[in-house]
Amino acid sequence: MISDRMTSNLKQTFKESFLPKIGLVLLLAIILMAIFAPLLATHDPTRTGHYADTGSPYPPMGHSYETQIAQDGDIVDIEVHPTSEHILGTNNVGQDVFSRFVYGARVSLLVALLGTALALVIGVPVGLVAGYYGGRIDDTLMRSADIMLAFPGLVLAMALVGVFGSTPIQVPDPIVMAGFAEGMPESIPIPGSVTVVAGLVIWVWFARVARGEALSLRNQEYVKASKSFGMPNRRILTKHILPNSLTPIIVLATIQVAAVILLEASLAYLGFSGTTLSWGYEIERGQDLLRTRPWISMFPGVGIMLTVIAVNLLGDWFRDALDPNIEGDERGV
Amino acid sequence: MAMRQFLVRRLLQGILVIWGVVTVLFGLRAVSPGDPATLMLGEGANRELVERVREEEGLNEPIYVQYLDYVGGLLQGDLGYSWQSNRDVTAMVIERIPATIELTIAATIVAIVIAIPLGVVSATRRNEPSDYGATLFSLLGISTPNFWLGLMLILVMSVWFGIPYPTMSTAAVPVGAVRIPYPSHIGYDFYGFPTGRRGVGFPDAMRALVYDQSVSELGAWLRYITLPALTLGTYFTALITRLTRSGMIDELGKPYVTATKAKGLPNPLIRYKHVLRNTMIPIITVLGLQMGTLMGGAVITETVFNWPGLGLRLVDALRIRDWPLMQGIIIFIAFAFIVINIVVDALYTKLNPQVSAE
Repeated sequence: MISDRMTSNLKQTFKESFLPKIGLVLLLAIILMAIFAPLLATHDPTRTGHYADTGSPYPPMGHSYETQIAQDGDIVDIEVHPTSEHILGTNNVGQDVFSRFVYGARVSLLVALLGTALALVIGVPVGLVAGYYGGRIDDTLMRSADIMLAFPGLVLAMALVGVFGSTPIQVPDPIVMAGFAEGMPESIPIPGSVTVVAGLVIWVWFARVARGEALSLRNQEYVKASKSFGMPNRRILTKHILPNSLTPIIVLATIQVAAVILLEASLAYLGFSGTTLSWGYEIERGQDLLRTRPWISMFPGVGIMLTVIAVNLLGDWFRDALDPNIEGDERGV
Repeated sequence: MAMRQFLVRRLLQGILVIWGVVTVLFGLRAVSPGDPATLMLGEGANRELVERVREEEGLNEPIYVQYLDYVGGLLQGDLGYSWQSNRDVTAMVIERIPATIELTIAATIVAIVIAIPLGVVSATRRNEPSDYGATLFSLLGISTPNFWLGLMLILVMSVWFGIPYPTMSTAAVPVGAVRIPYPSHIGYDFYGFPTGRRGVGFPDAMRALVYDQSVSELGAWLRYITLPALTLGTYFTALITRLTRSGMIDELGKPYVTATKAKGLPNPLIRYKHVLRNTMIPIITVLGLQMGTLMGGAVITETVFNWPGLGLRLVDALRIRDWPLMQGIIIFIAFAFIVINIVVDALYTKLNPQVSAE
């Protein structure tokens, strides 16, 4: 349970060290950037530039981007270097890198939060039941957890995305719908299968931690007492075991949010994500243009790094303040 | 013997897990969309041909017969044939193993060599600039996506400083790379990688060193592996630094440290012999658990650097939905993971006699 002592511990650690402050400010800034993306973006992130003579975002047959760029005047809106119009430059098809950076935060954070929530919903009940009842239920559940753990997270995720397919879900954008941001895309693509897959890949880690907690709590006096009073098992699980095992689960959840952000970026980089509006995908796009236009890959990576740093700083803060007994830096992916 | 009993039990558990992995993969393949025969022959293939392939491959049999067939084949070491290139999957897996092993071992060595001294320094000089530096480095290290780190290393080293990194791919030469020439007798596979013996692997470098007293091969190998190993190793360097630091701080506060100090033992001896040894136990456990991350990281790193290992082959197989190849590689990875974890557990009991092999 989140007791008063824990909140005071959290406050104490927050005051004493400046790292949690940096983490909190950074994360809030990124969350605000994600929410108000349509207002911050300077261009429609999906609008491609085009070549004047062909009207296509790709250079004509037989030309590379570089040869096209060399012949000035042929190009409309496919800027090369960062300018005042495109402050971080444009990518290989003339989309504004800054706007895509801002929008990328949305995809990254949504996938991370929803994926971790899904893993919590699956993993915590499974772990609590396994640990509380023990015996055959525990054996079965933990052996299946072992099977899940035998796959490297990323490899399992790639295989699952291959099965589920990767069509993104178009979510309407409330800010644009309300008419506050003209010319921005009306919906944002959320890679639904990546979110589900992230949840399926990391639930095992929650199950393991929840099981360990339930295992030690079930022998506590008050649990035994409630049992002898005839309290049904279900009620004991929800009233006693769950609230008392929350601390390590919260700490693990922060670590896993960071892991899912990296997982989503990796999947998008490898082209398994389904949405192109993602930091990881942008990095892949810039890979071949590293020599001439390094900023295409550079800025999305900074975005991922800052978000993960912010989440990790918060995770360290929780861990130091709440001091749960979970093994070091477990990351599921 | 407790140890033997423990190992037997872990092996049996491991076999059970492998069977589970095989079953899960088979299930995934069964529910995944797309007809295997069509995937094998390509869209728009002759309908009669598709039917004949379905018949030959046993795809018209009931699902449990297909499952038994597959498991039966696996027991004989037969992983099937690649749908794309029609080559034996076992061979396709085996030829890519050395490159991946080289990369993962090099990354682990990089991590251990940098991280443990860094962690020790950080723990013994708490709240000094060197501690802050190490903490900042480890925070950055665990927060950086490794594919991006790889690209930035290429950008800085190859593009800005003009030191190209070598690649073996003949299909496409990535930015900042130079192609390493191969002896003509080596064939090329579907993806443009040389088949059979690798040209500039570690064993070749060693052979040149021993028999020809030539260091140039070793130099080439080092040039070839440095950037990928740094890319893959950074996360682990950061992780081990953090673990060493926090473990050392815990241990240094324990009474036995004061006792050894009182006995007059020199500080470095206490640090490295007693404290570090006790700190290593949790580090080894976490490393065992993190092997999956290392292998996942290898997939990414191999893709970034066109490194001809298992990970790159897996990504290629997934992209073209070559199920037999993909299954073969994943089963192998799971197998390796389980073996490594059994070894780690054995090490763990060896290092810490208190832990009876429970």
